[in-house]
Amino acid sequence: MESPQNSVARTPSNSAIVQRRSKSKSYRQSYRSCLGAASRLGLTPGLTARRLNSSRRALKSQVITEKVNPEHLAILVKAEWQLSYVTPLYQFRHTQLKSYSRQLSAFIAAEKQQGLAVEVEGSQSSFRVSFSVVQGMAETDDDAETVLIQIFSKPMFAKQDEPQRSVWSGWLTCINGNPDYLHSLPKGFTCLPLFGSSGAEVLTSLVKSWFQQTFDCCFGCLEINQTSLQWLAALWTNCHTESSLKHLKMIWTIPVVPPLQVTYTVDPQDAWELWMSVRMDQLDKSEEEEEEQARNIDIEEVTRFMQGLKSHFYRHFRLDLSAGNLQQVSTALGSAKFSGKIKISSSRYIITTLALLTECALLKMPI
Amino acid sequence: MSLLKPFSKLPGLNSANILLVENEEQFQQSLADVLVEETSVAVNVRLAKSLPLPMENDESRPRIDLVVFIINLTSELSFQSAETSLKYLDPGYFLGKVCFMVTNARNASVPTEHLDAVRKLAASLHCPLLFAEDQTPDGVTSATERLLTVLKVAASLVPTTTALYLSNLTRCTLPPDIDQPSFD
Repeated sequence: MESPQNSVARTPSNSAIVQRRSKSKSYRQSYRSCLGAASRLGLTPGLTARRLNSSRRALKSQVITEKVNPEHLAILVKAEWQLSYVTPLYQFRHTQLKSYSRQLSAFIAAEKQQGLAVEVEGSQSSFRVSFSVVQGMAETDDDAETVLIQIFSKPMFAKQDEPQRSVWSGWLTCINGNPDYLHSLPKGFTCLPLFGSSGAEVLTSLVKSWFQQTFDCCFGCLEINQTSLQWLAALWTNCHTESSLKHLKMIWTIPVVPPLQVTYTVDPQDAWELWMSVRMDQLDKSEEEEEEQARNIDIEEVTRFMQGLKSHFYRHFRLDLSAGNLQQVSTALGSAKFSGKIKISSSRYIITTLALLTECALLKMPI
Repeated sequence: MSLLKPFSKLPGLNSANILLVENEEQFQQSLADVLVEETSVAVNVRLAKSLPLPMENDESRPRIDLVVFIINLTSELSFQSAETSLKYLDPGYFLGKVCFMVTNARNASVPTEHLDAVRKLAASLHCPLLFAEDQTPDGVTSATERLLTVLKVAASLVPTTTALYLSNLTRCTLPPDIDQPSFD
């Protein structure tokens, strides 16, 4: 589809950039057509080029994130986050975080003055905003550093010297983003496609509108679709040897009248044995055991793992779960809901989970 | 094996028979209601949940000109049932007398793998792939019009074209990067 990519390419009207672009041939591409030039010739390009994350995903290695500030890690691990995708931010500087904090506090105070409801559990005092950079989470050199935003305020009946509690937190991150896409962004744009927020909805919408005004970006809700939920279920099961997941719980909804919700809890040892038997089928006889650990996981293995679980359910209850939709997957390592809520309970797997979610966000983004 | 054969019976005069196969049995009903309103040709619509068709009706069933598989992308079961039903069709049907119709393709909750799987299936069988919107009457009407176009050709009611010729023009093709992952 030629027209979207032409209109996007004209957005920065600086002539210097136009020249440089034509010289080095790295023109701004729509993300979809980034994948292959051949797709633009003849057969249907555009919508069909935006597809699956990847069929071969590297094994979720335990990433012991000791290079990250433990306080920040504690914040990330504690709450359940509502996810959104963000289009690239224009002129976002990691060095100006202090001024961004001031601007956002002023914005919230101004909105409160105007009478837009900012009643957050009776806290009447002014809000203090803090932007901070979470160092050490970026996976490749192209990724922008993760930014953590917290809003503090004092509760209504607090004493003078009581510290302010955090009433809202959020983060923007990009982990292991697609390098072709990141390089094709025009100069001045920072790509932090994944946004997570936890706290009052009012504050979330205020923060989003401030970002939209300041950096000319768009937010949109990110659903974790069926395939990604299945990937998470398989990846978490794969980590059972390192850190035991207490159970593998899945919630399915079946579209019948009245709607039926099925909660399917699997003992972790059984899930692990099923997963191993699926992987062992693919294993070549000559490969070593240790090599098997480092192999990629294919989408076929994930599908077969889920198919095994579903057929077991069918054998006992005569209900085929394929007719329904997977809504939620939860283990001791974290839980993910179809509506876009994610909770990562273990700091070892934050990086890989966020990388998967970054891919989902990049795919869902309209540009 | 009770295969459905395309040419084992004599055709009717100025009539066309269409078989709609759908696991959920919802869209086929609304399609049928609009299909029978066609005036220039006598359209007989037969509905089925899956193939094989029951043996008892075999004698009274007319020659089926077009078999349409309706697949709802939000449910995997729909696709699996259509896949298993394909085995009960005589290979003669795949020369332009089979069509795939897909609903809910624009639904945001549908993972792209489902559409890819249907595409690959339709492309491997050289069949056309139509997209339909089943919730509004306009969507049903436009889906019906497209089906009627294919049906009239498949029932040999259009003088200059045959089903095989039309299927060569309308068959589903795969984009060359369909298997390429977005990331590595």
